[in-house]
Amino acid sequence: MDVFSNIALGFHVALSLQNIGYCFIGVLLGTVVGVLPGIGPVTTVAMLLPISFTLTPESALIMLAGIYYGAQYGGSTTAILVNIPGEASSVVTTIDGHKMAGLGRAGPALGIAAIGSFFAGCTSTLLISFAAPPLAAVALKFGPSEYFSLMVCGLIAAIVLARGSVVKAIAMVVIGLLLGIAGTDINSGIRRFTFDFRGLADGIEFVALSMGIYGLADVAYNLQKTEEKAGLVHEIGRIWPSWADLKLSTPSILRGTALGSILGVLPGGGALLAAFAAYTLEKKVAKPPRHFGEGDIRGVAAPEAANNAGAQTSFIPMLTLGIPSNPTMALMIGALMIHGISPGPGVMNERPEMFWGIIASMWIGNLMLVILNLPLVGLWVKLLSVPYRLLFPAIIVFCCIGTYAVNRNPFDMYVMAFAAVFGYLCLKLDCEPAPLILGFVLGPMMEENLRRTLLLSRGDVSILVTEPISLGFLIISALLLLVVAAPFIRRKREEALRE
Amino acid sequence: MNRPVRAIALFAALLLTPMASTAYAQGYPNKPIRLVVPYSPGGVVDYIGRTLAQSLTETMGQAVVAENRPGAGGILGTDTVARSLPDGYSVVIMDPAIVINPTLQPSMPYDLFKQLEIVSIVSSSPLVLVVAPDLPVKNFAELAAYGKANPGKLNFASAGIGTTPHLSGEMLKQRTGADAMHIPYKGIAASYTDMMSGKIQFSFSSIAGALPFTKDNRVKAIATTGAKRNSVYPDLPTVLESGASGFEVDLWLGIFAPAGLPADVRDKLSGALTTVLAKPDLKTAFAKVGAEPRGTTPAEAATILKREYEKWKTVIVEGKIKKDD
Repeated sequence: MDVFSNIALGFHVALSLQNIGYCFIGVLLGTVVGVLPGIGPVTTVAMLLPISFTLTPESALIMLAGIYYGAQYGGSTTAILVNIPGEASSVVTTIDGHKMAGLGRAGPALGIAAIGSFFAGCTSTLLISFAAPPLAAVALKFGPSEYFSLMVCGLIAAIVLARGSVVKAIAMVVIGLLLGIAGTDINSGIRRFTFDFRGLADGIEFVALSMGIYGLADVAYNLQKTEEKAGLVHEIGRIWPSWADLKLSTPSILRGTALGSILGVLPGGGALLAAFAAYTLEKKVAKPPRHFGEGDIRGVAAPEAANNAGAQTSFIPMLTLGIPSNPTMALMIGALMIHGISPGPGVMNERPEMFWGIIASMWIGNLMLVILNLPLVGLWVKLLSVPYRLLFPAIIVFCCIGTYAVNRNPFDMYVMAFAAVFGYLCLKLDCEPAPLILGFVLGPMMEENLRRTLLLSRGDVSILVTEPISLGFLIISALLLLVVAAPFIRRKREEALRE
Repeated sequence: MNRPVRAIALFAALLLTPMASTAYAQGYPNKPIRLVVPYSPGGVVDYIGRTLAQSLTETMGQAVVAENRPGAGGILGTDTVARSLPDGYSVVIMDPAIVINPTLQPSMPYDLFKQLEIVSIVSSSPLVLVVAPDLPVKNFAELAAYGKANPGKLNFASAGIGTTPHLSGEMLKQRTGADAMHIPYKGIAASYTDMMSGKIQFSFSSIAGALPFTKDNRVKAIATTGAKRNSVYPDLPTVLESGASGFEVDLWLGIFAPAGLPADVRDKLSGALTTVLAKPDLKTAFAKVGAEPRGTTPAEAATILKREYEKWKTVIVEGKIKKDD
């Protein structure tokens, strides 16, 4: 019963005219920066931080939170339309989303992404209100060994996820891991694979890599298709998802939401893992006929629901423990501190109006987003009718500006150019880049946590199997490996028997 | 690969120099000033830098624009200013990493004492020594004694190799003979989960990082590292008070400009800094992250800089800490 009175209090705060206004500004800005590649929520929140000091803490947090989850909505738009994932968590959306756009089904893809995100946003907010403290306790149970095993599990899932050749998927994951290793090693301070380029001291910039591999490589690929006269004209097709689309996607949205809500709680790559995991799961359990990788709407619905649910539940460790699960959350902790509020278990009791106000504003914000985004779908889809010879220079310019804006480091442009060539080769060789991105993001975290585990255990590896949660993830990993290997082994056996 | 670019930049700089010197005669500042923050948005340096930029804009009558240039532990951003014209329109705000880096890394792109000059130390804030909730120590002396009596039992977290939290831990080991294993994290905030669950036993943390966790005793704060007690933790003794003489760690922030600043420009800049740093609203703003405004003269700042350089050099050399190759 208590929860309901709290929620009532939250809505009382969030529904004040002023807070509705800030919520709207937040989600609007979020959508805009989500659509613009390169300018992500981190930059925007950082820029608005000084302004937020003049607001009440409730209004400030409501606005900043709006930017964060608003960007999750916007990020899928570029992923679907022009194959540029705005953030790591929308990488998976490009796989089927951009294919759908190519088939003239950009509208339904965008529509289902918005609807999936809306549903996931609302559900996971409900989860925050009822289960924030117990879920936060789960996050506290995760030490370095648990994270390492979780990442192992994630990487193996990436191999299962890939369409086509398993060998190629493994190769891509390994390349991703190697790329992720470049930069200053956190444990020894030694620079690895930087070739004396100071621009590589902090590793390869994620935005530069993904813009190159996805955005620019795709431009190159499309331009080559034009030369071959292979029908580049995007047909617009219908704008809204049909009832059949919705019916098909509903179970996927539900599964994505559930996975996203759970994984989002974990600090470090939660939303990203959620999107990948959701896609992997869909590929295995969705009702046939399955066309994943060729424009299956469920391949958009599930990861989009998952990353939005994850974005929402990543507020749990921030608000209840004071632990940031990603850089944006770290900024929000900064914003709270400036207002004299120390995020932690006390916040719910000391500042209930703020805690519940933010949660209530998430519902309102998600509603605003869906109202804001659905009409925009029509507009975005029209963008595709712009002739490609006019569209592609704009894409290139946006990629360049976006990449440069992250660190204002010209070196990142070279990285992007190099990644573009590499990405084009991957397309030509029919290698899916998604496992590479996952390896790139998870690899360094995995190494960091493994070495931390071993430092803490003074070199004793057995800790990975004596900690129950860690053991659990390793067992799941082993099972996943079996899933991949089983058909292969069976085939080999059949071949052997035939002989 | 940078060489031709650098040569062109140098050539352009030579061409522009006479023009620039006529420019300051007309009264500095007459165009926006760039304040480089060599870290990502969101940290203490970024916050202090932005707050300062805002106040300076009001006082100097010209826009002072904070610009994040993160990378390589502050080296990239500092380097862009080291290579700028010494006209007072490019300055950088930096923390003790600027004096630590030259000892830690043999290959630096700039020479701190030849290519940069300090205009003012703008703020001071101590670190706070925090320990895991179940560690049976109540003060600095007990922690040191515990570390000596239980070799292999203590782990301390830091924000990475060569950061002040790391070197402070090393200093503790060197001065007290306690044994402790260094566990680096990407940012001190990430280490708190492990400290709450008792995997990490202590760390020297920034006040802003520690505050959410010490407020409700999820970790114990046992001392601050400043010359005197800090207003955020008025009840905590300093490490100096517990008898460890010379154990003082200050997370100061300084404003640096390219070396060779004309005297009138330097005076104007340091004067403006002293004016804004005396304002009460700035004091309130700084206090939120546990920092106190300072505002030294360039000469005082240079003395402090040299002293800090020597202090950390001793710790790094004695601890055989290395970075790069």
